[in-house]
Amino acid sequence: MRMRLLLVVVLLMAAFGTTLTSAQEPVVVEIYFPIAVDSPITAILDEYSAAYEAENAGVDIVFSFEGGYTDVKNKLLTTMEGGGDLPALAIMLATDIYDLRNAEAIVPLDVYASEEYLADFFPTWLSNSYYDYDLDGTPELYGIPFQRSTVLLYTNLTLLEENGLTMPTNWEELATVAQALTTTDRWGILLPNSWPYWVFQPFAIGAGQNIVTESDTDVFFNTPEVVAGLQYWMDLFQTYQATPAGVQSNWGDAPGLFADGKAAMIIHSTGSLPSILGKAVFEVGVSGIPGKDGGYHTVTGGGNLYMVAGTDEATAEAAWKFVEWLTSPAQAVDWSIRTGYITTRISGLELDTWTAYIAENPQAADAAATIDVAGREFSVQSLAAVRDILHAHVFDVLNGVATPEDAMAAAQTEADEALSMFKTE
Amino acid sequence: MLAISDQFQNYWRKRLRPRLKPLPYLLILPTVYFVYLFTILPTFKVLRDSQIYFHPNLPQRVIMTDLKLPGIDPAQRSMRGPHDVGWAYFRAMADPDSLVGNEFWQVMRNTALYVVVTVPTSMLLAFLFATLVNRKLRGIGWARIAFFYPTMLPMVSAATIWNFFFTPDYGLWNSALRLFGYSGAENWIINPDLGLWALVIVAVWKNAGYYMIFYLAGLQTLPEDVYEAAALDGANWFVQLFRITLPLLKRTTLFVSVIAIIGAFQTIDHALVLTYELVTGEADLLLYAIYEQRFMQQNYGLANAMTVVMVTILLGLTLLNFILTERDHD
Amino acid sequence: MTDRLLARPFPWGQWFLNTLTFGLCLLWAVPMLWAVVVSLRPPNDDLGPGDVWFSDQLSLESYEKATRLAPFFPDLDQEDFPGHSYYANTLEWVLLTLVVQVITVTLAGFAFAHFDFVGKRYLFYFVLMQMMIPTAVLLVPNFITIREFSTKTLLIPEFIYYKEFALYDTPLAIALPYFGSAFGTFLMRQAFLGVPRDLVDAGIVDGCRWWHLLRHVYLPPSWPSLVAFGLVSVSFHWNELLWPLVVTSNSARPLTMGLLRFTQLTDIGAQWSLVMAATLIIVAPLLLAFLFFQRQFIQSFLYSGMK
Repeated sequence: MRMRLLLVVVLLMAAFGTTLTSAQEPVVVEIYFPIAVDSPITAILDEYSAAYEAENAGVDIVFSFEGGYTDVKNKLLTTMEGGGDLPALAIMLATDIYDLRNAEAIVPLDVYASEEYLADFFPTWLSNSYYDYDLDGTPELYGIPFQRSTVLLYTNLTLLEENGLTMPTNWEELATVAQALTTTDRWGILLPNSWPYWVFQPFAIGAGQNIVTESDTDVFFNTPEVVAGLQYWMDLFQTYQATPAGVQSNWGDAPGLFADGKAAMIIHSTGSLPSILGKAVFEVGVSGIPGKDGGYHTVTGGGNLYMVAGTDEATAEAAWKFVEWLTSPAQAVDWSIRTGYITTRISGLELDTWTAYIAENPQAADAAATIDVAGREFSVQSLAAVRDILHAHVFDVLNGVATPEDAMAAAQTEADEALSMFKTE
Repeated sequence: MLAISDQFQNYWRKRLRPRLKPLPYLLILPTVYFVYLFTILPTFKVLRDSQIYFHPNLPQRVIMTDLKLPGIDPAQRSMRGPHDVGWAYFRAMADPDSLVGNEFWQVMRNTALYVVVTVPTSMLLAFLFATLVNRKLRGIGWARIAFFYPTMLPMVSAATIWNFFFTPDYGLWNSALRLFGYSGAENWIINPDLGLWALVIVAVWKNAGYYMIFYLAGLQTLPEDVYEAAALDGANWFVQLFRITLPLLKRTTLFVSVIAIIGAFQTIDHALVLTYELVTGEADLLLYAIYEQRFMQQNYGLANAMTVVMVTILLGLTLLNFILTERDHD
Repeated sequence: MTDRLLARPFPWGQWFLNTLTFGLCLLWAVPMLWAVVVSLRPPNDDLGPGDVWFSDQLSLESYEKATRLAPFFPDLDQEDFPGHSYYANTLEWVLLTLVVQVITVTLAGFAFAHFDFVGKRYLFYFVLMQMMIPTAVLLVPNFITIREFSTKTLLIPEFIYYKEFALYDTPLAIALPYFGSAFGTFLMRQAFLGVPRDLVDAGIVDGCRWWHLLRHVYLPPSWPSLVAFGLVSVSFHWNELLWPLVVTSNSARPLTMGLLRFTQLTDIGAQWSLVMAATLIIVAPLLLAFLFFQRQFIQSFLYSGMK
């Protein structure tokens, strides 16, 4: 390989050679894929590609695995900039849509996706799929929901029963139950701090106001409801001592602690369901997060399928066919059963495979039911900058440096300034 | 006229021409070329590019407000760029009230604190280790290995191991601290107040053993007879340490501090493992901020401007070191 | 000087020093010991309060799983790119760097030590600039240089430009900036300057050409310096992360980047045994080499600072 820079002539011949022979070769569809869950994902995907290739001659599906969503995004952007070989598809965070489109890394899918096809997706999953880049009033479709999750409240039901408690239905009950279950070697509830906005959103929604709307330039950080949500988080350790004070809990540790009985309740992704069910020796309850005055609330998360810019037409056609296959109801259900992500297709819930599965695993049905109450995940222009603003102020509050009112007012001012240049009026 | 030309010809034949043979130039050519291509040229390139606003992950739209850079004409411009903005980034960085300046000073404060804590701490430990292992004792070789082996680990591995130690509740670092009565916040990675200290601790652990070998080498060159004389005069261990050892190791200390400071500026691998999740930027070091701005935020101009600052700091430090060493010689 | 302390007639001082040494050693060794112990737990065995060392069983499963999750070693069963493993990539770029560096620094060190030529001092300072501005700091412009190497530096015209010429994501891209080494040049020049001038003059009188002089007069006494330089170069590059992170994304990834991938696995549940197995797979060669040749390594690193 080192010789190739010098052997200009040889390679030129090789170049012409490839152009001439490429017609007979199969269409290669490469897909960047984050391994974010510890399931035998590589094996499942190998199985999928083999099944698909058997049905469709002339297509070669290649998965390129990466450590996480951040890795995939960085890898795609640096490969694009460095001039490396790009994949046809990539699974990236649904919320990264604006950044990815602005960087011209992804292309619209409206030409491929039919209305019937889209109508069978739960509308909630599509809430971060559209972006009106050219400001012509009609948003274009960019992301096809694939591995989607919500935030869940995992409850140790056995423990609840032993203590004569019932499933909490509102903030008051959640706090008192958590307090009652807190002992010297067990926390009542753990709220991981690694990605605070995701854990925080259900509380804001539960108080009556999501921190984002459909708009890509508006955030609502300082409304009384959102402030109340943050105050409640504070109360959980200040008033009730039911969770570690300040910025404490790790995203990665929480499921293990819950499964080991070191935490009575945790707030975590649906993606952790299989590993928790696999380890826990008690009855696990899953639900949305109780709201201030009742009801259960959650927020969407996870990754969408994007088509990478610069994919040639033949590859794009083949890639789209594979997307349709991968997101078909049967596949979506299979994927959900084997990974813990929630089914993306409405008709998938009626399939026999699914009904048979939830008869054995009622928690999976409970997790899927949270789709109905899931709000739109935090996503705006300049997402990283605005998210950092929110996180910095939320951490200030948790660490006792600022009051919720002051911190969220400051967050609102800073976020408005960061977003002001995207305002079109 | 003729005399001058004669003189020059004479000089040319005798002095200059023999010193202008092509061979030595050919021999150093590869080294000089690569140093030029990857050190000298990029230094100028980065200076030039620091004058250009380019933000390719922003939409190709006409901007309505301004570019968030003080002193930039808020007239109709593309949000994405590229625009020639002159020294606007440096003006913005100098102004702590601007968005750019606010971020930059945060990074500079972090970097300064990191360097000021990491370097002296690891050097003190290095000196302590060197004195401890500079004894003729059975098994002392193992002590040297124990102190030095972190040098051989990639920073990313060291950080990965420490990542566990910093886990709240049952992480070993926290368990150890609790033995000493610590009861504060325990999530060293995610807590904005602690993230920078996590980086400091890993860096000290990894580097103390490396600096130790220089002190060890220095200690072994110290003249025995001076100590004997001092001991005869009744100078105790502490007097010997402060009156003889430290002054004699002054050059070692100066030299170790230089490599430690330059090392502290250019190693940020542990931040990629430990504090990348710390999204609020409370622990961003200068080089990490450059990487982040360029490759994650795609803010090309700012990344280049910060690189210029970094190169300036490093050149300044080298110059300072040169002056100190020269003064030392006199 | 501490010898003198020990010579004093109160043994408690010695006891104190020994205990202190032992304690600090233990403190410094604990991270590695912990990593080894935990890597021997089964992959899904969560750590918890009071359960952070040995579990009830020892197993190599974590190692097996780590190698399955990421291509640390060449996969000989796979036909496409059996060479694209982290180990192969790291070895490739580290050895490539080493071989080129040994040649360039020997030649340059020899030229600076042996010849007298116009501008020698300034050219030497020019080269030393590399020690003042480390390559890591210039990662942004150097990334551009690598990206445009074939078109802007090698001047391959756009119309015959073919993607295969692109340097990005090849081991060569990681190695290229290190081909010239100021530190190595300096070290070799110092070593060559230590060779007695009489020997050199005798060689010249005997009619030696410059390469004879280099091979038979300058190099034999300078081997230790070259070996030291080689050891430092290999250790340094083996552990390098940030620069490879910038210029590779896929097929040329080295070991350190492979480990970085594992650190993000904690998204869903920290699997410490798996991550520690990956860590040990990466550090093992260098650490074992160090344990066997510790004197040489410490000597070499001592040189590395003698700028």
